[in-house]
Amino acid sequence: MIAFACSITKPDVYERCAEPGIRRAAERDSRVHAVPAVGSIFKSYNALLDAAAGWDGLEALVLVHQDAEIVSPDFCTKVREALADPDVGVVGCVGAIGVRSIAWWEASVTLASFVNRYEEHGGGDLASFSWDWDDAPPYARTGEVETLDGFLMALSPWAVENVRFDEGLGEFHGYDLDFCLQVRAAGRKVVTTDVRAIHHRPLEMLPDPEQWAVAHVAVAEKWEGRTPGLEPWPGSWEERARKAEAERDRALGKARWHELEADLRVTELERALAETTGSISWRITAPLRRH
Amino acid sequence: MIAFGVSIIDSEPYGRFSGPGLSRAAEPGSELYVFGSVGLTSRTYNLILDAAAKRDDLEALVLLDAYTEITDPGFCAKVRAALSDPDVGVAGCVGARGVRSLAWWRGSLVSGPVRHHYHEHGEGEFPGYSWTRPEPGGGEVDVVDGLLMVLSPWAVRNVRFDDSLVHGYGFDVDFCLQVRDAGRKVMVADLPATFYDNLDLIQKPELWVEAHQQLARKWEGRWPGAEPDARDWKERARQAEAEREAARARAFSRELTVDARVQGLEEAMEEATGSLSWRLTEPLRRANKLRAERAARRRS
Repeated sequence: MIAFACSITKPDVYERCAEPGIRRAAERDSRVHAVPAVGSIFKSYNALLDAAAGWDGLEALVLVHQDAEIVSPDFCTKVREALADPDVGVVGCVGAIGVRSIAWWEASVTLASFVNRYEEHGGGDLASFSWDWDDAPPYARTGEVETLDGFLMALSPWAVENVRFDEGLGEFHGYDLDFCLQVRAAGRKVVTTDVRAIHHRPLEMLPDPEQWAVAHVAVAEKWEGRTPGLEPWPGSWEERARKAEAERDRALGKARWHELEADLRVTELERALAETTGSISWRITAPLRRH
Repeated sequence: MIAFGVSIIDSEPYGRFSGPGLSRAAEPGSELYVFGSVGLTSRTYNLILDAAAKRDDLEALVLLDAYTEITDPGFCAKVRAALSDPDVGVAGCVGARGVRSLAWWRGSLVSGPVRHHYHEHGEGEFPGYSWTRPEPGGGEVDVVDGLLMVLSPWAVRNVRFDDSLVHGYGFDVDFCLQVRDAGRKVMVADLPATFYDNLDLIQKPELWVEAHQQLARKWEGRWPGAEPDARDWKERARQAEAEREAARARAFSRELTVDARVQGLEEAMEEATGSLSWRLTEPLRRANKLRAERAARRRS
């Protein structure tokens, strides 16, 4: 039996996003355990694991964010195939190798089979690189990775029994990387498989950069020098500090600069659109467009 | 006598931007030091400083980027006003307080009447550094932007640009730090100018990152006006690595937001120009365009 679990802080989001996906993916005997959050994501997910650990016939526990919608109707089949290897501890649809921090997306991402569905600016979809295999780059592949994006993870029964989210690490950020590192430290594999999902979320990746930075440091401290761990940064602490301070300042400038550039690009397009729809030819052909 | 210095890599921007500004601003007795670049701007500027230092009647030396146009015919009077306090070593048209690194725009910006003219997206202008929401006006700052620097005779004779900062970035920040280290002031003053530049904050990011580190090493523990960082290197590295990745994620989010805003407008544009009625009236627009071009030729 493949079970689905979700920790809910916003019931309307769950009903709109995760629930339809679970309905699409679940099998007749699937158990769905969607319950209110009990604190941090670490604590809430541990509560889900504790509940599932007692279920008979559990083949996998799928942890779904409330804003994640599974799209693949053959989701359970793919998860079963991935977990057929008894060494696999956890499966997902977005993963990376060469990971040096909780910013796993800065590493070599091998699979990203999701779209970011946003509501800003009239709404839209931003498809990640392996959403459509016909358009996927040559490096897109399923298989073993170092970490997964935690918005959709399927855990083996072994992982449900033996691994827990580290509640000492904070509120939210880094729970997925830390869990995957624990699975790998226990000698099990973390893998991606060919399933897809829609992540309904705003375009802002880090609404709480200060909290994120605290988690970044906490996870780095926890895993420093451990094997398997995070790939080390080169250089002495002084060299690392200086380089990171420089690159941080550059990125901060870039982020603020984008806002200005966005305004200029939008102004240009708005001007062009106004010229087009304000032209004589546009106005005299208006009746044609009405019919 | 107020002198002007420009380092020229390419004659074209001098002819279009800084040259016309100099014609507008220079007084009859003004000396123009227009030097061909000898590699680093800092080195060329030092040659200009050496030349200007020989003039006993020097009141100020205005160092101007080739892409900067002085827009006020009364510029020299404003230069004199800016240097009326004998403690002022350098004045500029935009600068910042609380600067702790090469990224001086992370400080609190102070800006005079400066404009940024860009060529992309249909060309246009906006108030310089508006993306940093600067405080308008003037006053004492830590550093000024090297696009326009007014040097006092004391600075011309006693301070030099550090040409060991080989990456081409930060010569202005370093010069201002030297001036303040020597006990003189750096000011933002009412010096109207327009920068002609593309919409790229850092054109050579890898070099900029190296330059940032070189400047930080040079001034470590003695940055004027700043307390030395008490943290050990490991703590600094951890914090900076976290902040860097957060900043990158924010920059990426901004890019996504831009894409989302632009995508909607592009779709609307495509819908408008892809319609049957738009295609049917294409000859009319072509004829209108030709007529407008002929009229423009006749006018010119």
